[in-house]
Amino acid sequence: MTLAPHTAESHVQSGQLGRLVVARLKPNEDIIDSAEALCASHGINCAVVRGGLGSLIDGALHYLGRQGMQDLHVPGPGIEILSLSGEVIAGQSRLQAVLADADGNIFAGRLQRGRNLSFITVELTLQEWLPD
Amino acid sequence: MTPHFETHGGVRHFIHGGLPQQPRLLDCEVAHSQELRVELPLACNVAEGLLAVLHSCRYQSAVGRILCGGAAHLSYHRMVTTSDSQRPYDYGQPVVLDGYITFISGALTVGRDASGAPLLHCHAGFIDRDGQQHGGHLVLNRLIVGSEPLVLRLCLFDQVAYQVQPDAETQFNLLHPVLKEAS
Repeated sequence: MTLAPHTAESHVQSGQLGRLVVARLKPNEDIIDSAEALCASHGINCAVVRGGLGSLIDGALHYLGRQGMQDLHVPGPGIEILSLSGEVIAGQSRLQAVLADADGNIFAGRLQRGRNLSFITVELTLQEWLPD
Repeated sequence: MTPHFETHGGVRHFIHGGLPQQPRLLDCEVAHSQELRVELPLACNVAEGLLAVLHSCRYQSAVGRILCGGAAHLSYHRMVTTSDSQRPYDYGQPVVLDGYITFISGALTVGRDASGAPLLHCHAGFIDRDGQQHGGHLVLNRLIVGSEPLVLRLCLFDQVAYQVQPDAETQFNLLHPVLKEAS
């Protein structure tokens, strides 16, 4: 196997974690839109997900495949969030989730914007990233 | 109102029995957090072990992840349909697993019940001894560590709590962020 040559420099940023935003999403609120709205209302430019727990009406994930982004639909309701991680930056958030359906089957992927709505509740905790 | 689905822009919404109230996002800000790595030993009851660790900490609530580990016994719930027209979805009977369970993912919230006592809310994914994947709402006082220690990472915070309160819209008792005095 031949590795492709590097085309760009790695970008390293030092910094520290700052304020926490401790939130609850009521029903029918989208995860990404809500995370970005919370950051905007607290004046946070960049945040990391520290906690994400709750349920979705349906799950809408995607991943990069050979034919571009491939959708992964997880039919609900009552899709459980087992893990939520990623970075929140207005308009550029990339959040990944591990989900379980009502049969206990597990799915994982990148969240699609506007399509992962809170079913009963989502506890979402974000923490500010402060670059030096 | 009878709970029902509506579709907007190709995305299903669920209208619960109670009236939706504004705001739709509830949030509080905390200045900083305290970080903990917790390793629970074999045969430990996870709820008991975790609460014992937290007993000496100054915090109101915490969020965290299951990083790795195994279980010898656990009980978890999945969402089922009910005959209650106002609350048509709820957790069903527990699914019980024994022996050689490996965690692959998990999230945890340590909130407060109405009396102020710690309340554990956990969802996790795991693989049983036959290789079958499972995921759902985990009951931590029925989770016994097995095969290898269970490692959790927690972010503790003070002056804000995830407090259980009744929610008129969904008709569940749910964790809500609320401001608190420093503990």
